Amino acid sequence: MNEVALQVKSLTKEFGSLTAVDNLSLEVYRGEIFGFLGPNGAGKTTSIRMMCGLLEPDSGEVIFQGGKLVGICPQETILWEKLTCLEQLEFIGEMYNLPAKLARQRGDELLSILGLEEKRHNLASTLSGGMKRRLNLALALIHDPEILVLDEPEAGLDPQSRLLVREYIRSLAQKKTIILTTHNMDEAERMADRVAIIDHGKLLVTDTPEALKRTIGEGDVLEIEILSIPVEQALAIIQPDFPDIQVEGNNYFIRAGGIMEKMSSLFDAIKKAGGEIGEVHLRANTLEDVFISLTGRRLRQ
Amino acid sequence: MRIWSVIRKCAREQKRDLWVLGLSLVFAPLFVFIYWLFTGGNATTSYAALVINHDEAARFSDGVMHNAGEDVILAMQELTFKDGSPILRVSSISDRDLGETALRDRDATLLVIIPPSFSQTLANAQSGAAEPTTQVEFIGDLTNPYYTVAAVMAMTALDGYAVDATGEYRAVSLLETALGDSAARTEFEMYIPGLLVLAVIMMLFQAAMLVARDIESGSLQRLKITRLTAFEYLSGTTAWLALIAIAEVLLTFAVAVAFGFRSHGALWVAILVGVITSLSIIGVGMIVASLSKTVSQAFVIANFPFGFFMFLSGAAFPIPMNRLFTIAERDIKIIDVLPPTHAVAALNKVFTLEVGLSGVLYELTALSVLSVIYFSVGVWLFRKRHLN
Ligand SMILES: Nc1ncnc2c1ncn2[C@@H]1O[C@H](COP(=O)(O)OP(=O)(O)OP(=O)(O)O)[C@@H](O)[C@H]1O
Ligand SMILES: [Mg+2]
Repeated sequence: MNEVALQVKSLTKEFGSLTAVDNLSLEVYRGEIFGFLGPNGAGKTTSIRMMCGLLEPDSGEVIFQGGKLVGICPQETILWEKLTCLEQLEFIGEMYNLPAKLARQRGDELLSILGLEEKRHNLASTLSGGMKRRLNLALALIHDPEILVLDEPEAGLDPQSRLLVREYIRSLAQKKTIILTTHNMDEAERMADRVAIIDHGKLLVTDTPEALKRTIGEGDVLEIEILSIPVEQALAIIQPDFPDIQVEGNNYFIRAGGIMEKMSSLFDAIKKAGGEIGEVHLRANTLEDVFISLTGRRLRQ
Repeated sequence: MRIWSVIRKCAREQKRDLWVLGLSLVFAPLFVFIYWLFTGGNATTSYAALVINHDEAARFSDGVMHNAGEDVILAMQELTFKDGSPILRVSSISDRDLGETALRDRDATLLVIIPPSFSQTLANAQSGAAEPTTQVEFIGDLTNPYYTVAAVMAMTALDGYAVDATGEYRAVSLLETALGDSAARTEFEMYIPGLLVLAVIMMLFQAAMLVARDIESGSLQRLKITRLTAFEYLSGTTAWLALIAIAEVLLTFAVAVAFGFRSHGALWVAILVGVITSLSIIGVGMIVASLSKTVSQAFVIANFPFGFFMFLSGAAFPIPMNRLFTIAERDIKIIDVLPPTHAVAALNKVFTLEVGLSGVLYELTALSVLSVIYFSVGVWLFRKRHLN
């Protein structure tokens, strides 16, 4: 499965003094779902726009091995407001040189897959926000591209539609190469075969979600908010038992195996020292923790 | 004060769209400047008058042989404005058909024909013989607003000379021959060509804004990855707009005719002129769209070609222009790059001066060439700026 579909070499893009994408190199394999994960402004959109040829890079290149037929679902919803759902799918299909009949048929298919069959003859301007997002996605798929580039495909969708879209994208994955961007670690974790984490335009790591999580150690994460005592004091209490700890403001991210058993004695120690315990979360390792360990910041504030 | 906040918000937005602000501010001053250029600043307009002098010299009472026709031509040339520049640009020609063609093409304003007996009649008047008066013919397109001025000036020269020579005011009578149907046009009919051209010029905005909408919404980005070419995109758009233009031209004519408009020449020729004009206007619209990023930008930019078309092409009022060079006996002027120039000339010829297809071939050719040029420039610019 490690046949390269797309090779990105040293892509760089500057906007004035800001380096939006900094020397990005990576390979995307045929048939995989490749996820770009990073916070707002990390350079995800800029990267994929350059990969699709929509934006001229300052330097670097993108090499397609084999098929070059790309479908892109942009981050902003771009529709022809005065065309119906089906009309615009037909139109863009014909622009990809599909015969009119096939374009219509595929358009109909996509609309029902994405839960828009009832709206096929409605103007795009009359759709709800989430429906527009789904139509936006359908427009990228009409010509059955070999490489599918999706910029935040789940943005603006309710949980039900999100599931719908997720399942559909997953079902495409075997046949197509899919590149998607997200700032949602959950989405990246569930969807992507491999994830590239980027921040400030720089690629930090690329690997499978499992491998990435393994790099930061096994076990659970305890996220605990400690108030009323200074950080140094809190650390002095926690660190002897839990050496793997990250601090962000009043939030402490503690990683260790079998935290459950040790939790109550830790809480007691903190209270005894005059600390107050705010919010507490106990969870399994996520890509968020990977991001925190790489950057010292959380993905979402 | 929320009004103050609104003002400040407007100012800030405008500041970030300096290009549009600049264009809006520059519009009127630019046209003041262009009018100054075209009218030569404080120079005055001179009207082109053609003279066919059939006069045969005769002996006047002073015993000298005079060709009074020549003298009248001199007198016409000597009419000047206060600053000394001539009012009439007088040229002698020998062929009436050639003269009428020049009038139709508005290369000349007035054609004067002096009869063979002109000198003899004046000589007879000097000696007191009760001769019939001599008849000088003035020919012109009465729908040409400059005709009246030129005719009055020429008449002044003519009468002045005759009265000087004979003291007999009535020795010269005037026969005014209206070119084509120009004497019979109603005021309503005079407005129709201008209105028609205006309707076609307005296509400029529609064309530019239709394309700019796809640019502004980002849908052009979608089309870009389908590898749609600028030529395909703009051709398709132009074809649709041309259909609208045809409907518009037909509708305008239908209404005009229903209310009593008469065309002397074939109406279908006028329709053809309207349609080809619209193609060239749409071509200019494509150039405007290529230069725009948003619909409102397209609107502001479109005002410039619109201004040129309205004010400088003769659609609204005539513009005196000197020729740049001559091709195949045609005087080429700067304003010939403006499609409405040819449209106005051609429509006037068809409606008033009874010409058929052959009479407007030059204009049709010019319009077609301009359409191709503007469209090609539009495609080139569009490819460069939007579908690269
Ligand atoms: N056209 C532009 N002009 C100037 N700066 C830009 C432009 N496009 C993007 N940027 C900047 O480049 C950086 C990366 O932007 P980009 O859109 O790639 O981020 P992103 O990772 O897609 O973020 P998000 O998750 O918010 O979509 C940002 O700082 C952004 O402000
Ligand atoms: Mg983005």
